[in-house]
Amino acid sequence: MRYQLSIFMENRPGKLEAITKILAQNNINIRGISLASAGEFGVVKIIANESDRAYEVLKKAHFAVSKREIVIALINDTPGSLHDLLKNLSSNNINVEDCYGIVLEEGEKAAIVLEVEKFPEAERVLKANNITVMSDTEI
Amino acid sequence: MIWNDHYETMERDRLKQVQSRSLRELVERVYKKVPFYRRKMDEQGVKPSDINQIIDIVKLPFTTKQEMRDVYPFKLLAVDLSDIVEIHTSSGTTGKPVVDAYTLRDIDTWSEVMARTLSMGDVTRQDIVQNAYGYGLFTGGLGVHYGARRIGANVIPISGGNTKRQLMIMQDFRSNVLTCTPSYSLYLAEAALEEGIDFSKLPLRVGFFGAEPWSEGMRKEIEAKLHLKALDIFGLTEIIGPGVAQECMCQDGLHIFEDHFYPEIIDPETERLLPEGEKGELVLTTLTKEGTPVLRYRTRDITYLNYKTCRCGRTSVRMNRILGRTDDMLIIRGVNVFPSQIEEVLLQVEGVEPHYQLLIDRKGQLDSIEIQVEMIEKLFSDEIKMLEKTEKKIENALYSSLGVHSKVKLVEPKSIPRSEGKARRVIDKRQV
Repeated sequence: MRYQLSIFMENRPGKLEAITKILAQNNINIRGISLASAGEFGVVKIIANESDRAYEVLKKAHFAVSKREIVIALINDTPGSLHDLLKNLSSNNINVEDCYGIVLEEGEKAAIVLEVEKFPEAERVLKANNITVMSDTEI
Repeated sequence: MIWNDHYETMERDRLKQVQSRSLRELVERVYKKVPFYRRKMDEQGVKPSDINQIIDIVKLPFTTKQEMRDVYPFKLLAVDLSDIVEIHTSSGTTGKPVVDAYTLRDIDTWSEVMARTLSMGDVTRQDIVQNAYGYGLFTGGLGVHYGARRIGANVIPISGGNTKRQLMIMQDFRSNVLTCTPSYSLYLAEAALEEGIDFSKLPLRVGFFGAEPWSEGMRKEIEAKLHLKALDIFGLTEIIGPGVAQECMCQDGLHIFEDHFYPEIIDPETERLLPEGEKGELVLTTLTKEGTPVLRYRTRDITYLNYKTCRCGRTSVRMNRILGRTDDMLIIRGVNVFPSQIEEVLLQVEGVEPHYQLLIDRKGQLDSIEIQVEMIEKLFSDEIKMLEKTEKKIENALYSSLGVHSKVKLVEPKSIPRSEGKARRVIDKRQV
């Protein structure tokens, strides 16, 4: 089980930097980041090594921040792997709200971050289909 | 609790007699002693002998804010300067300030009306009044001070600003009455939250908030966050400072101290007197003031009057909370918009806090209005589409209330500057 932080941000130069600065000053490591914007504002999503502490320091610095559970799945870096993963979810009627990923080891492993509505079910389904789900200590 | 039973519950016919007598004396005095008024009355062709009853007041000329500035500093004095014991001024942010000069009797009147004011919130000599209105040339600080002194309450003259010290004193001295601007009260609440101070555990019981327009929604917000009863206080430097009108515990309009200040409501365009209950510009006359008396001052505040006896037992006329100002009124694409209306709508939207700013601009021939609203946790969603929905929701609510389209922009928490005095809500960038 792990958490992703979402932070409200105005879409202007220096705004993202203000967030990374606070995390750096507090010696918090960013393990994953993605950013979505709509015109004049955006939401930055961060997976941190210490999500509780990251949440607290950002809140203290007056950011609007929220925390939610996510699934990080490890898949093979081969054609069709992501497709298999998604098929498992959709066949169990689990909707993916947001998703991003990156290759960890060329031709070996990739990590996929999934935001889903039905959180515990998703994790169960993936495990039942022999897909590795990362734990807290692995982040 | 009623401070002055005699005047505050006086039968209205009897009150009219009192007002008529005061008006006759006032007009005679200013005609003799103030060339400014004599010239204006002569121009209008009205003599002191034309004024008998209070209703004759409509024969007198109006006094405008600009005229009050033109007579700076002492041309409005109706007594010798040596009889003046204290002087206050308006902030004068838009030019020369307005001077309010008090004789000893004026200070006595001020103490009386402010004692009545504080008594409306049941303040007694047992209470501790934390007075966070500014002390100095501004009338707020000393006005409250004199009223609290008259009652015999314990007044802490902390003045405005220095929020940390405000909170410390509030806890250590166990203040139970707070006086400050409504926006500063919310700022205090915010700061308290950060310091881990729980207002529900403090003895604060009642607050007198004024010196800037605020809405019913803001009242609810203040009452919930500060755990006190929030009362509206009204006054202006041109008349005496605070102590012109005050809301009682019924929170149903502000009682005007009519034996000292006579109110009229006029149509700001035609200058005609409007009947009871109709919205228009408030006009005030200082019936008893000695130092700088004012005839029919056009306050530019929009409100209406209610002459029914209040549930509290007072017979004095009540004015509604200020709905806006004739000069604050924004004309956006031909539609009259008051910032207070916008605030009312914003606070009705779930999760919106009263931290906002209006930016008015003109692109080509078209006026645009942008409303910046601070994002707070209650409003925040990690889904972009939900945030866009929130913006749309606020825009729609504003459109259905104002009849003009506006753009809502969500901004980061604490990014709108906080004020320790009057909040600056409107930035008009139009070059007209």
